[in-house]
Amino acid sequence: MTAPGASAGEDSGDLGRVLAQRERKFAMSLLAPAFLALLATTTFPLMFLIWTSTYRMDLAMPFADGFIGLENYRILLADERFWSSLLVSLIYTGSTVTLQVTLGLALALLVMDMKRGQGWFRLIAILPVVLSPAVVGMIWRTFMLAPEFGVVDYLAINAGLGSKNWLGDPLLAMISVIVIHTWQWTPFAFMVLLASLASLPEDIYEAARLDRATAWQRFRRITLPLLRPAIVMVVIMRTMVALTAFAAIFTVTAGGPGTATEILNLYAYRKSFTELSIGYGSALAVALLIVTIVISGLLFALRRAK
Amino acid sequence: MTLKRVRLFVVMAIAAIFLLAWVFPIIWSLLNSLKTDQDVLAYPPKLMFSPTLEAYRDVLFGSAAILPNLISSFIISIGTTIITMLMAVPAAYALARLRFRGKRFAGFYVLATQMLPPVGIIIPYFLILRRIGWIDTYQGIILIYLSFSLPFAIWLLVSYFEDIPFEMEEAAYLDGATRLRTLWRVIIPQVRGGIAVTIVFVFLNAWNEFLFAVVLSGNTVRPVTVAMFNFVSVEQTLWAKLAAVSVLAMLPVVVLGIVAQKNIVKGLTVGAVKGGGRR
Repeated sequence: MTAPGASAGEDSGDLGRVLAQRERKFAMSLLAPAFLALLATTTFPLMFLIWTSTYRMDLAMPFADGFIGLENYRILLADERFWSSLLVSLIYTGSTVTLQVTLGLALALLVMDMKRGQGWFRLIAILPVVLSPAVVGMIWRTFMLAPEFGVVDYLAINAGLGSKNWLGDPLLAMISVIVIHTWQWTPFAFMVLLASLASLPEDIYEAARLDRATAWQRFRRITLPLLRPAIVMVVIMRTMVALTAFAAIFTVTAGGPGTATEILNLYAYRKSFTELSIGYGSALAVALLIVTIVISGLLFALRRAK
Repeated sequence: MTLKRVRLFVVMAIAAIFLLAWVFPIIWSLLNSLKTDQDVLAYPPKLMFSPTLEAYRDVLFGSAAILPNLISSFIISIGTTIITMLMAVPAAYALARLRFRGKRFAGFYVLATQMLPPVGIIIPYFLILRRIGWIDTYQGIILIYLSFSLPFAIWLLVSYFEDIPFEMEEAAYLDGATRLRTLWRVIIPQVRGGIAVTIVFVFLNAWNEFLFAVVLSGNTVRPVTVAMFNFVSVEQTLWAKLAAVSVLAMLPVVVLGIVAQKNIVKGLTVGAVKGGGRR
């Protein structure tokens, strides 16, 4: 695998160097626009964010603004709302990812065995994942969860549970936002795992059947180990997105009632743009970045460990 | 034999429940958009009703029209797509095919930018855009959308560029074609399919974005995902109109999703780790 240009000049060193240099220059000019844009829209904001997190910066009271060093972080560590939002984040992420992967895997196994109708699943599964979480949140908040005529509440009434205040009760609100996120993204786990199942070699199963392995043994000893890379990949991807979920909660409960469904991401947003404390909000966003890095580090370590 | 039948029946029933659960909220919104408010609010929920297009007429041309917001969404999404592709195609080609020092680091950097939570980008960007007067402008929103669309597009395109055989390029060089000419005439036509798929997903992600849009939009530029909130207020909810707006907001992405059906797993797996603004 030698790139064109470089390979031509291997016999004469000077020509090779000239061509390699020309290739490098060409590469740089192709990369420059995208990398300048990425620097401007990601790296530069990160620096600026760390800088603002060391300031007292309040859009409602600009006269009190000023450098305060690590004061925001000291406040953060003693802030009960920060710790509760971190806990909500972990519950939301842990439960939605677990549900997506187990339901997605179960359904993929089930559909894999179907002789007809697989196409329907592949088609229908696309619908939730291409939708905007903002639209999904709105639909659930109104047509699904509204008292009485909302379909979920209607079913609850008919099941003898009675009409519930789905988004007004702290526990039910938390369950609701978890269910909504799971509803939207289980098809994602399903599609990825189904594709990965379909690529497994058939002959291993044949051998296992000849050895009279039970269905459970086949799943436990063959399917699961072979699917492990795909499962871990889905877990990593879904965890990153769940940690920074925004629209799916904001449109449904806006973090409420109170702070019952306020994940850390939402707290950072509310602090910055509702309560207008940009400095402290920046510190919360930096804390979220650190949490994201720590959790993804743990997950990547899990991927490497066999 | 009977046990097998029972098992088959149970499996089919579970499968049917999943299919129904996924499709129902979408179908239900569609049905509600064809109802009057009274029919939406009926208890028990009505499956049979006389359909009307009144809600669509109101949200498209009536007093609470969201037509400007739909146009905003299209301008933002198309603008983001064009600028992203102009930058991502050359960058992806360089990362996939050329040899230069620092290539591994460059690839890693594109991935690493995705670790940054969007809320950590929008806080500083809000301050900057406010200073230069770019809040509530297309350039402000499109610029910040590059933060998630570029890494996504670059990585998706790299996977397509890597599939082309090297011989094609070498033949072109031997004919004396310049690098740029080869890229344009020989390589790009080879990855046309990959470029089309990338365009679909970049558009889709831009259309669905919400956090940046809700912070940066105003009276001039407000995409439909944000404008939807006008229909749900403390005083009253405009049920049928909200349903109609939801359907209109879903329509383009559902169509694109079905068009890109075969590539959706690839687009999603590149997208979720390596980009994707929809949280």
